[in-house]
Amino acid sequence: MTTEMTVVAAQVSNNSVPRNVSLRRLLRTPLGIAALVADIALLLLAILAPIIWGRSADAYDTAGINLPASSAHTFGTDGLGRDLLLRVLVATRFSLELALGATLIGVFFGLLLGSLPIVTGARVGRFIVAAFNVLVAFPGLILAIFFSSIFGIGATGAMLALGVASAPVFARLTHTLSAGVAGRDFVSAARMVGAGRMRIIVRHILPNIGDTLIVNVAMGAGGMLLAFAGLSFLGLGVQPPSFDWGRMLQDGLQQIYINPMAALGPGLAIVLAGLALNLTGEAAAQLAGRRVSTGRRRWLPSGLAKTETGTNGPWASTDRPVLVVENLTVRFPGPDGHPIMPVRGVSFEIAAGECVGIVGESGSGKSLSALAIAQLIQAPGDVEAGRLLFDGEDLLRLSRGRLRRHLATSMAMVFQDPMSSLNPVRRIGSQLAEVAVEHGGLSRRAAAARAVDRLGQVGVPAPRRRARQYPYEFSGGMRQRAMIAMGLMLSPTLLIADEPTTALDVTVQKQVLELIAKVRAEQNMAVLLISHDLAVVSAMCDRILVMYAGQIVESISVATLLAGPRHPYTRALLAAVPDLQTDRCVPLATIPGRPPPPADFGTGCAFAPRCSYATDRCSRTPEPLSIDGDTVACWHPRQGAKGPPRAVEPGAVSSTIARTS
Amino acid sequence: MSVLTFDDVTVTFGHGANHIRAVDGFDLTIGENTIVGLVGESGSGKSTVAKAAVGLTRPSRGQILLDGRDVGAGRRDAARDIQMVFQDPYSSLDPRMTVGASIGEALLGVRSRLRRVRVGELLERVGLDPALATALPSLLSGGQRQRVALARALAVEPTVLIADEITSALDASVQGSVLNLLRDLQRQLAMSVLFISHNLATVRYVSDVIAVMYLGRCVEIAPAEELMCNPSHPYTRTLLESAPRMGARIEPSGTDDALEHDVPDPGKPPSGCRFHPRCPVGPRSDPSRTICVDVDPQSIAADRSHQAACHFAGVAAGLEP
Repeated sequence: MTTEMTVVAAQVSNNSVPRNVSLRRLLRTPLGIAALVADIALLLLAILAPIIWGRSADAYDTAGINLPASSAHTFGTDGLGRDLLLRVLVATRFSLELALGATLIGVFFGLLLGSLPIVTGARVGRFIVAAFNVLVAFPGLILAIFFSSIFGIGATGAMLALGVASAPVFARLTHTLSAGVAGRDFVSAARMVGAGRMRIIVRHILPNIGDTLIVNVAMGAGGMLLAFAGLSFLGLGVQPPSFDWGRMLQDGLQQIYINPMAALGPGLAIVLAGLALNLTGEAAAQLAGRRVSTGRRRWLPSGLAKTETGTNGPWASTDRPVLVVENLTVRFPGPDGHPIMPVRGVSFEIAAGECVGIVGESGSGKSLSALAIAQLIQAPGDVEAGRLLFDGEDLLRLSRGRLRRHLATSMAMVFQDPMSSLNPVRRIGSQLAEVAVEHGGLSRRAAAARAVDRLGQVGVPAPRRRARQYPYEFSGGMRQRAMIAMGLMLSPTLLIADEPTTALDVTVQKQVLELIAKVRAEQNMAVLLISHDLAVVSAMCDRILVMYAGQIVESISVATLLAGPRHPYTRALLAAVPDLQTDRCVPLATIPGRPPPPADFGTGCAFAPRCSYATDRCSRTPEPLSIDGDTVACWHPRQGAKGPPRAVEPGAVSSTIARTS
Repeated sequence: MSVLTFDDVTVTFGHGANHIRAVDGFDLTIGENTIVGLVGESGSGKSTVAKAAVGLTRPSRGQILLDGRDVGAGRRDAARDIQMVFQDPYSSLDPRMTVGASIGEALLGVRSRLRRVRVGELLERVGLDPALATALPSLLSGGQRQRVALARALAVEPTVLIADEITSALDASVQGSVLNLLRDLQRQLAMSVLFISHNLATVRYVSDVIAVMYLGRCVEIAPAEELMCNPSHPYTRTLLESAPRMGARIEPSGTDDALEHDVPDPGKPPSGCRFHPRCPVGPRSDPSRTICVDVDPQSIAADRSHQAACHFAGVAAGLEP
């Protein structure tokens, strides 16, 4: 417990406010700079232009009426001889005021309408939602024209009209976003402890939809500017002697053949200001979504995928391996630019027909190791290995095309969530057949027949009919069977199953595991089974690799696992998870602290901070130690199952210990 | 000390032809100061039962009684006596609220200084540093978040606590400490607890009484050891046999039986005994046992001390019905 708390305390002090960090990073991107510059320019213009040029923009000059653009008057002059450039600049304030005002009105009524269904409850809420859904279906400008005839022609009327006309869109947005938040457990929890509806809206829902809402408001303001120009252009907006960009655009169009700049000038202003607002929206979106990229990666992926290794690693298994993994490392760019290594020097072998299990908690690197072996790590991830041999081929040397083909024909993969691995809009049969057509060189007809055959083989009832169905028509267990069938379309020598039964019910889990065992026996196929469940792995595998913090800490036979593993982590894990024989009268053994995240793996034995046997020695990375055919990476290996675990006395068992270098 | 009773509770989702009875005639009593474990597969209606108890969904039939008071009608105050902790610790805390504010929300009537003290006490009670009250949930691990969720539930001093899969989203190495904490809290506060899980081993470790749910109903209820050692309902036996055990080899099989083993669609539950299409004791093994297809065994369970809703309860265990 204490360790757990110190870890958090350390994190609290380390983490400065993350928002500031991303804001600073955002301002280093071209988008951030552009948005900032545009916003400052717009703001300065809006504040200063009427003060500086307000008077001269209104000054009549009867001598120079409707002048075309010249060096004295960049945009020319209007019918009363006023300088158009100055008027465009001065109009910035009024145009922006109107656009932002209308946006605020829209947002205000939108928030009110959009959150009303939550207050009123389901029945009345449905009517309100239906009402603004109907309003959303009308084009916004038509609504605005309708409302402006109600509110009266003029600047205020137009602002109100546009604001009210845009309310349904914001209402719809608010409702959709808040429905997502309202369904989450913390809202249910607040309701359970007695928080009222208003409190839930103000304290829970609005803060959680704020990010997205602000983005949309900023974007909406850009659109509003344009809409205003439209209304003024139709003569429904600003009336003389007031003027905004829309009004000037309308006036300018009358003399477009004499002085095109009279119309183009205000148009340009609208476009630029709209762009500035949209940039701001984009920047806000990046900030909200934390999608900030700093461009270049700070670390260089090593051009050489091969790393230094010694001789054949100590994790070696029996003869004729189907897979040899040596010093496998996976690297990702970390949040602060430093690379993190979720998989660090993993080495093991799998013999033909052997079933090897990898167990570990989330973040231990077990799934990433499998993905790295199957060459499925995508940029910016980077995979390195000393050796990576699969089915007689060196995966590090194969050309891209041959690699794909080799893996597709000889390696099958099954993931935890079969729905995400199957294309939802294609029939199961054709998805299976595609594999055989693409990589097996079969004709379409032969491939389809084989798909039906394989579906039957994995126990899918009525395979001919089922092959014509879509993934959603399959249950979870059936989908997982279909995935295994897909793996069997060609003749794989290795099946990698990553948590294949975690999403399934226990009764279905047993059937899927039995099926994997059957397929393995029939085809002499090797299996790499990844699971967080020691019981599942012990029931299926010959050998078990225990992973912690990106490394294999122990490689043991099932017999050793049952008799008492040697690594303190494996032992603690066994004791912490209740099984059907656990003594109910004593508290469960617990492991203090929690698994470290990949950024904090540190040096030395990663388990040492949580280990009750840790000593000073553990600050150095333990060398893998071979004992009776098992391998353990620990300075203080244990032995035996019952009673207080005792340390392996180096003297007493020296005959069985061989420290490998 | 309270007793929570589910009396013929039915919860229906949807309307017309597509309606699903997620819970259908569910009877269960959670006695004073006991932990009742509820096991079942996905779709059996476990979580719906929990939501009905805390008023997040409304039963279409039946009553949920807390010491004889109906908690379904006129909720709010009565409801605060029943609190629930959710499965996903990442969704159950508002990411924008500090830990202290989340817990303090349950103490709205309390003056702010006193509230701060109470929040500190609650955090200590669940084994966390009171200083964490100012932290945002994003800094906490799953196990710590689950402890905060427990503290929030305890803040209103409930007499009944519902724990819905509270450890299934946690790492194996921290599950144990949360289970220990739950057992300690139950003993210290003498709460009644409904512990929901799909994991038999966890349920067995925590519970005094175990109820097994299948397609919206309780099919077997018995004291934990009794149910584990002497399961009467074939479904319970199937569950127990399917649970993976350390070192129990899984033998190759898979095509001998092309029957669908999957749970039937809860929208169209089978007639008679709902388990009969999958049951190893019923008509699949002995076609003369048509009673399983025709007669619903639900009513006979209540008369037995070891409640099992099965016409042939105990048959495979070597006992005559």
